[in-house]
Amino acid sequence: MREITYRQALNEALDEEMARDEKVFLMGEDIAIYGGAYGVTSGLLNKYGEERVRDTPISEAAIVGAGLGSALLGYRPVVEIMYIDFIGLCMDQLNNQVAKIRYMFGGKCTVPLTIRTEGGAGRTLGAHHSQSLEAWLMHIPGIKVVMPATPADAKGLLKSSIRDNNPVVFIEHKMLYNTKGFVPENEYLVPIGVADIKRTGNDVTVLTYSRMLLFSLKAAEILEKDGISVEVVDLRTLLPLDKTTIKNSVMKTNRVVIVEEDTKTAGAGAEIGMTVVEECFDYLDAPVKRVAGADVPMPKAPNLESLAIPSVETIVQGIMEVMK
Amino acid sequence: MIYEIIMPKLGETMEEGYINKWLKNEGDRVRKGEVILEVMSDKTNFEVESQHEGFLRKILIQSSDKPVPVTTIIGYISDSMDEEIPAIAKEEKQQEASLKEKKPPEEGSLEKKETQFSTRIIASPAAKKLASEMGINLKDIADLKAGGRIEKKDVEDYALHIKEKQMEAGKKIEQLSPVRKIIADRLSWSKQNIPHYYLSTKINMNSIEQMKELSNRQGKDFTYTDFILFFVSRVIPDFPLLNTSFINGEIHQFNSIDIGIAVNTENGLVVPVLRDLRNKSIEEISILRSNAMDKARKGQLEKKDTENCRFVLTNLGMFGVMQFQAIINPPGTAIMAVGSIEKEPIISGEIITVGKTMWVTLSLDHRVIDGAYGGAFLKKLRMIMENPATALL
Repeated sequence: MREITYRQALNEALDEEMARDEKVFLMGEDIAIYGGAYGVTSGLLNKYGEERVRDTPISEAAIVGAGLGSALLGYRPVVEIMYIDFIGLCMDQLNNQVAKIRYMFGGKCTVPLTIRTEGGAGRTLGAHHSQSLEAWLMHIPGIKVVMPATPADAKGLLKSSIRDNNPVVFIEHKMLYNTKGFVPENEYLVPIGVADIKRTGNDVTVLTYSRMLLFSLKAAEILEKDGISVEVVDLRTLLPLDKTTIKNSVMKTNRVVIVEEDTKTAGAGAEIGMTVVEECFDYLDAPVKRVAGADVPMPKAPNLESLAIPSVETIVQGIMEVMK
Repeated sequence: MIYEIIMPKLGETMEEGYINKWLKNEGDRVRKGEVILEVMSDKTNFEVESQHEGFLRKILIQSSDKPVPVTTIIGYISDSMDEEIPAIAKEEKQQEASLKEKKPPEEGSLEKKETQFSTRIIASPAAKKLASEMGINLKDIADLKAGGRIEKKDVEDYALHIKEKQMEAGKKIEQLSPVRKIIADRLSWSKQNIPHYYLSTKINMNSIEQMKELSNRQGKDFTYTDFILFFVSRVIPDFPLLNTSFINGEIHQFNSIDIGIAVNTENGLVVPVLRDLRNKSIEEISILRSNAMDKARKGQLEKKDTENCRFVLTNLGMFGVMQFQAIINPPGTAIMAVGSIEKEPIISGEIITVGKTMWVTLSLDHRVIDGAYGGAFLKKLRMIMENPATALL
């Protein structure tokens, strides 16, 4: 199987879906001529033309609002919010319109809208361009929240998101675009709402997603040398959560560590951890542990930035703590 | 509308049952009359049908190792999926009630509270669950462990430790299987509560032996048990008290002559009942008997095959057991234990010949049947078995 980058995988997903369905079109800031801030939409303007790959003014509210409108009219828009840090600007559209309109019209319309965005720290872009805000979105009934970590999952999940008749927020990670992984040549889909066990183990379950999957896998490798067998579950979708996979893993290992890059207080891990307590209380041998981002605005200084998010070392420590 | 699913009471003596398995999942649609779960009681499985149309909303008790008393609510069915299930509401209420019951701490009780706290055993939820399933007291583990939280592994290790200790001591301890538990409970109850007494007689089997040979020559493979069943079912109509159940101080008499036969199976003793034998030919009885034993050995007996058991026949003759006393199978009032058929010298007039004899021992419930009555039954049975022609008279 060939190895391609996360960026190429996303580009292929968009390309394939645009070729498959002429109702699929792209909108966003600098996505057409420039090819996207991280190059994901590169080459698509030449292939599909200005009608279907559209640069927009700098207004997130307008981008999502226009996406919603065209979705209601039968298109399958894929709109891009360049940084998740800007999601607040379109939150009314997203929370009050996109997420609710199908429900409020009694199911008479659907919103096949995909909102691509990216988040996370690692490039020392400071407090306005490095946040992980998935927990805000998990709190909105009516949307789905997808956060793939590998090129293969990124491609399969983006294709599923575009084909989904409900709004999906698809959150990429700025540090993953250049990572490589095996991606099948043939067409495939990865279902939304299904987690994936990226490494099997018996002693402790790590529940994680997005870039933290790569850190967690490294931590698991280190701990293997100490005789600790770590199962790493890549949640892939945060909303809806795959409770079945989580439960099966916890029933096996009896210990849980959640690794998340977002700030710890009321973060995604709080929801995941509470789900574990509700669903698997009788199978726990130790308190559920979170290894999460510090409750601070993301520092600009590189040394502080890396201290503000989990590292392989802090993940190893966290796992050791529940293994005591 | 919400409907309760209860542990049904099938048979007068059924007080509890085991849930074998649910055949429907929570959320499944069920039709009225559709089988939704399997329950085991009195050593037989029976299927429970839904009394209502709707959705199986909640299963309160999954398959059970411990008996569930009859009429216990074990689940809920509702008309639609969005009605609130009372199970949850009830649990909450109970919680509230228990919270209310807790009195506010009195002054000066602080010290007491602290000591209570220090004796609390710290164990993980997984450890607690496993320990309770294995019947292990967490305190025993806490006593061995140097401190810290008891985890699942500690419980597993302890269980292993106990097992090893038992092995060293040359013994092993096992929990009773559900069938064994039912046998244990019923027979203990019977022997402790029913005033048993025993009457034995020796029957000359020469005539039956001849009949058996004759029928064998005709290609009919009747067993001694078939003959005994046949003759007992001819005599019982004259002794109706042997065909009764004793329930709650009342004697229940039946017209139908039903006889249970004790069958040894891999899982233990079971007693299928052969129904309405009064007018059945020996051939019909033989087929009934053979089918029932087959079903019993394959573990396919249903509730209807064993309920309402009264007179029981039990036979250990094939093991060379000459005579034994059996325990009455409640709510029945009589059981007849049949021994091996032995060659013996028989005195008829002044001549000694070699004949075949068989001991039978009747165990009777003295609350219902007096000795003379039982003796008369045995006398009649013996007479008819030794002189089968009298059955025609």
